[in-house]
Amino acid sequence: MNKMLILLILLFPALLLAQEEVPKLQAPSSPAASIMGLQPSVVLAPKSYKALEASLFSNFMNNEGGFIVPNDFALEFTPYWTKDHGLTLPDYLFPKRLDDQLIRSSSFSLATTRNFLLGDSSASNALAFGYRTTFFISNGADKRRLESLDGHTETLSILNTRIVSAMEEQVARSVTDKNLLCQLIQPVAEQALKDSKLFSKADQQTFIKELIRDIKNIELDPADPDAFLDSFIALVDEKLEGEQAFNDYKDYIRERFGFSVDLAYAALLNFPTNDFEYSFLTRQSVWITPAYRFADKLNMLKIMGVFRYTWYNLDYYARYFPLVKVYDRNLDYGLAVNVGFDKFSMAFELVGRHSNSLVSAGFDPEGNQLYRKEKDNDTQYAGTFSYRLSEQIVLSYTLGSSFDPILNPESTLISLLALNLGFGSPPNPSAR
Amino acid sequence: MRKTYRYKDLSFAVADNASVTFKVELVSDGNKVQTLINVPGPNDPEIKDNDTAVIGTGNTLRNDTTIVVSDIMNPVPEEDTIAINYYVNGELLVEHTNPKSDSERPIVILYIKFPAP
Repeated sequence: MNKMLILLILLFPALLLAQEEVPKLQAPSSPAASIMGLQPSVVLAPKSYKALEASLFSNFMNNEGGFIVPNDFALEFTPYWTKDHGLTLPDYLFPKRLDDQLIRSSSFSLATTRNFLLGDSSASNALAFGYRTTFFISNGADKRRLESLDGHTETLSILNTRIVSAMEEQVARSVTDKNLLCQLIQPVAEQALKDSKLFSKADQQTFIKELIRDIKNIELDPADPDAFLDSFIALVDEKLEGEQAFNDYKDYIRERFGFSVDLAYAALLNFPTNDFEYSFLTRQSVWITPAYRFADKLNMLKIMGVFRYTWYNLDYYARYFPLVKVYDRNLDYGLAVNVGFDKFSMAFELVGRHSNSLVSAGFDPEGNQLYRKEKDNDTQYAGTFSYRLSEQIVLSYTLGSSFDPILNPESTLISLLALNLGFGSPPNPSAR
Repeated sequence: MRKTYRYKDLSFAVADNASVTFKVELVSDGNKVQTLINVPGPNDPEIKDNDTAVIGTGNTLRNDTTIVVSDIMNPVPEEDTIAINYYVNGELLVEHTNPKSDSERPIVILYIKFPAP
């Protein structure tokens, strides 16, 4: 069934374009999925905006090169957005306190796999859990852009309500002669356009002329005038280019200019005997991801830094991975560049790793424990290409070279095809 | 997509000399709302987002239908529902909700009569 679904999605993306139930998603990025290794990228891109995000991961190829059904699962959940708070748009865009930002962007993630390979290549169950929050610092360019977008949409709304209410009023009074309606609407529309200061005098005249012409082309059934009124509302909106203004505002909110910091934590729990009562906390990671998005002509460009600190449970690795070298502490540091266009985006990252462990080196003549410090350095680089198939489905492919894996140090090739699906909240039954 | 939600035949009984207030309350997050209250006669009050406006007295509103038009948009990616409440003299008159999958930019229109008690 899953195989069929994936084939359908790959072969007939147009089918998905018709579905518009939830907003856009970004590529998979939960901390839990990352620490489990379902996602090779070290840099955690900002999380998707939905309260619930579920992802399926797979390279779609088994060892024999055949097609396999993805069986790993990851989920990210942002509790704040599950209930209403009555935030106005300015409240949302400019949180007054730091803890407001902390609470609003706190998300919890979970990832599971049945194929976590131990040192002897036997499969075991593993579970990862994570937390993430984001702080955003608005700058002057961001404030100016938002003021401009807000002012423009507000002017259009004032214009729209004045013109629409005048038409609704006349039709409610049973005026159904279109010539008379045009005569009654014209002075209201002229005054509203003049007050808006959006149009030159010549453009105002053209607007009115075209509006009157087009009203006369709309069918008006006196017994059921709602269809006429709906068409009139659509006509006014089209002439004011309201949809474009809204989309500009919506798109900008998703990718604001300025500086942000993503903080995340994740831990990986392994059940080596597949017994729920017997588990190890194998490794834990903390991420700090500063990011800056440029304004104006470079607004498609975003630069991210990454600092990831990972510490391993050496007792666990000594028992279940006896032949591999694992360092106690690992610091990853690097840079990622993201270039985004309408449906297509590219991301490149280059990350260095410094690892070290303190190894027992016997005792001194006084009987004190002595340690020797072992160190290593490594590099990872990867490129990800993402394509948004629809509002809720993103297909991404990552290619590159990873840090030396614990099990097969020679297998550093990253080749991952991922499909990210988003699910919205259930519709409110009282919605009309 | 723009979609219009009409609430017709609404009625609120009010005495001749009683003042009438109209209130818009944003319930879900990230809504931007411009509301015009088309009362009988000139000087139609306008409300931006959450606010209350005095729209007249019982006798000035009695003669004709008051038409309220709200132009709503919700550009916030985390929110998937538009929910707005409308009150007259503190009493809930209409509780509007619509999923954003239906419309992120709905127009809500209320037709209200103010008969004598």
